[in-house]
Amino acid sequence: MTATNEFGHLDTPLEASNSPALKFEVFAKCSTTKARASKMHLPHYTAHTPIFMPVGTMGSIKGITTKQLEALDCHVILGNTYHLGSRPGPELLEKAGGLHKFMAWNRGLLTDSGGFQMVSLLKLANITEEGVEFENPHDGQKMMLTPEMSIGLQNAIGADIMMQLDDVVSSLTTGPRVEEAMWRSVRWLDRSIKAHKRPTEQNLFPIVQGGLDIELRTKSAQELVKRDSPGYAIGGLSGGEAKGSFWRMVSLSTDILPTNKPRYCMGVGYAEDLVVCSALGVDMYDCVFPTRTARFGNALVRTGSMSLKQGRYSADLEPIDRDCDCSTCANYTRAYLHTTATKETTGCHLITIHNIAFQMRLMLDIRKAIVEDRYPAFIREFMRIRFGKTVPMWIVDALKSVNVDLTVPDSSGYLAEPVADDFQKVPNAWTEPN
Amino acid sequence: MALRFELASAKASATSAPRRGKLVLDRLVGGDVGAERPAIMLETPSFFKYTRHGLQPHLVLEVAAEVDALPPATRVQLEDFLDSDTPDCNQFEGGLHKFIALDTTEILMLDTMDPTITVRTAKPTNTYMAIGSEGGTRRLTPNLFAQLVNSLKPDIVIPPADIVEEPLPSLTQGKRISKSVTRSAKWLDECMAALTHPVAVFAPVVGSHSLELRTIAAKALAARHDIAGYTFNDVCLALPLEHKLRLVQHSLELLDASKPRYMLGASAPDAVLRAVLSGIDLFDSTYPYAVTEQGLASTYVLGEDDSTSLLPHCLDLWQEAMFADFGPLVDGCTCFTCRSHHRSYIHHLLKTKEMLATVLLQIHNMHWYQRFFDNIRRSLERGSLATDAALFFQRYGCEELPSSTNEQNKQVGRPFSELDTLAAQLCSPTTKIQRKRHAESQAI
Repeated sequence: MTATNEFGHLDTPLEASNSPALKFEVFAKCSTTKARASKMHLPHYTAHTPIFMPVGTMGSIKGITTKQLEALDCHVILGNTYHLGSRPGPELLEKAGGLHKFMAWNRGLLTDSGGFQMVSLLKLANITEEGVEFENPHDGQKMMLTPEMSIGLQNAIGADIMMQLDDVVSSLTTGPRVEEAMWRSVRWLDRSIKAHKRPTEQNLFPIVQGGLDIELRTKSAQELVKRDSPGYAIGGLSGGEAKGSFWRMVSLSTDILPTNKPRYCMGVGYAEDLVVCSALGVDMYDCVFPTRTARFGNALVRTGSMSLKQGRYSADLEPIDRDCDCSTCANYTRAYLHTTATKETTGCHLITIHNIAFQMRLMLDIRKAIVEDRYPAFIREFMRIRFGKTVPMWIVDALKSVNVDLTVPDSSGYLAEPVADDFQKVPNAWTEPN
Repeated sequence: MALRFELASAKASATSAPRRGKLVLDRLVGGDVGAERPAIMLETPSFFKYTRHGLQPHLVLEVAAEVDALPPATRVQLEDFLDSDTPDCNQFEGGLHKFIALDTTEILMLDTMDPTITVRTAKPTNTYMAIGSEGGTRRLTPNLFAQLVNSLKPDIVIPPADIVEEPLPSLTQGKRISKSVTRSAKWLDECMAALTHPVAVFAPVVGSHSLELRTIAAKALAARHDIAGYTFNDVCLALPLEHKLRLVQHSLELLDASKPRYMLGASAPDAVLRAVLSGIDLFDSTYPYAVTEQGLASTYVLGEDDSTSLLPHCLDLWQEAMFADFGPLVDGCTCFTCRSHHRSYIHHLLKTKEMLATVLLQIHNMHWYQRFFDNIRRSLERGSLATDAALFFQRYGCEELPSSTNEQNKQVGRPFSELDTLAAQLCSPTTKIQRKRHAESQAI
């Protein structure tokens, strides 16, 4: 696979923003939904959005070389500040000339703030105005992560995009704690901006918080917009909340955030979520799901997820996906992958390669459809393949809000019946043979 | 038979002298359209690339392609693909090359068992070889093996043999060895009778540590004209290398010297040199894999310079000194890993159990192994192998037979040992099942 230019000869942006370390140019807007296709010029690479960014927690993506990642057309990958901060540590990364040089990756990098791991990995995390107090898992000592320290670590890592430390509360939390966290996140943003030492080389993205409360989210987004940041993230979601609330919070945020800057929805990576959120105006996504599920022997396809360990694939001579142009699909049958998945590291690598290629291809198709202004038709086709006649209610509702009504038949005759299914489940790709 | 073996000189066919030669394979290459018949050549001494499930450990095809000049020869063990006693041969439509996406210009050898798993619980009977798999023990009869070969269409096969399991001669009674010789001969007959695909058979030369029984086995093989080469996979693994090689040489004296010889369990560099000097032609790359699993990078060199000072033959990437070392694994190394990455990064990947660590190390270690064999062939052509090998043993401290004391287990003086290295592979970042597989073989 080679880098494609899906923008064709579009050379005049419809909208743009210029920050010291990020130029964002919107080249195409969907005439029906809020979707847009853009180029995001970062210090190390020009990424095309909507973009999916694979997660390389420790400075590598599960056994895949950076050369392979380039061949897979990955534009930006993620590193986790909490993990990189403890191993190999900021001193070494600084000595190595930053994470780019350390891991030999010349394209875009994004680091999170470390706050999410504090809360998700560590018991006994205690959040105060100063920062997140936690117990060091290595020696049991009390430690503190402040917004200043998070930025210090991220400056040492040197990613193109850094995230502010935010006061993360579970999306299921309600009551005054949500409001406290929202306001504290704004105060921490101001401290982060002040602590940021490399504003011409790295971008600091604030994070919209406010739980599932419309007023708080609105207020949060409005406060962040005042800071005129190079881009914005939508956080505090994908934590087990009802999908009906999820999309409403995303849509509400994109309505307030400036249209000439990138919007990043954190922790989202299921194919249907990417298609829906792009229609709601989101530009960037990350998720461990495609690479993690690969290690359990699950290959992603447009119809869902294929569990290659199942006996039904033992003599299946088809590739995972006939239309996929990744090296795994070019070379191997499902029968072969069935024998090696979850057994050999190469079995993991082969499925990981396919799953990254799947995500990249999906995003490319989304961008192309937006550029050619046929995104609504793309959405219908996607939903028809993925869900058939019964589409989860939240998807029908979300799309209706951006003028794509799946319950009204289009020229292709596709008509969806909404089913109340708030529980996020990846459809099984297996269908009975005809 | 489409495979032939050519020795560089008639003199080289003396039974136990080092020999330079080549395996030449003459068969159609490429798809149905535009099939060609180029000579596929493997210059010997050389090695078959060790694979697991048809791929070199940790290296998917596009990554394996980063290693230059690897020999065009691959070995696969049937046990990786045997999930039932009555496998569905349809899944191998188009042959094993196609199934594992191996280039058709590769010489493909099919063996029965994985040589890195040396302890096995399943025992053979008079009629079948027992192979442990996820779903229980599989019975590999010579007939089933032949049927699978007929649909897998490899270029070379090592037919099933009754290999004596006990690691020490003291434990193995003559009766057990005698049974192994009789069974192996019977299985070979059954297998040959059922083979319809024209394949080169590299017959196992059995007899364990009994000279008497080795004589019987070797004489029987020497009398056959349907055998293309010999495999030494039945030499007690726990024996010192010199002892093993004496057993091999005993058999070699009775066998047809014009045929190629493949020895398993002798893939460590010092063992390769000693075995080549004893007349072995073919090996496999289990050693670089073992090195990788330990988090080590190969640094040994044969010839090239004549320094005699004691040198380490590998670099331990786990050690703390690697933490901030931004140098390549080996200065001046041209492999993909050394060109793109530094020691500090690989140390970090090992510490964080990232799978990329073994990917990058395996690339380097395979590059190094290939270079080592290249130097062996050059040295043979110059006629200086014996001197170069002596210098090599001196330089890497393997003049004495390896005794694994802890003190020796430092970088300098750590003996080359395929099995020692494999024994401790739990530390490498790898998949759960693989770990389980090794944990099981060690628990016995």
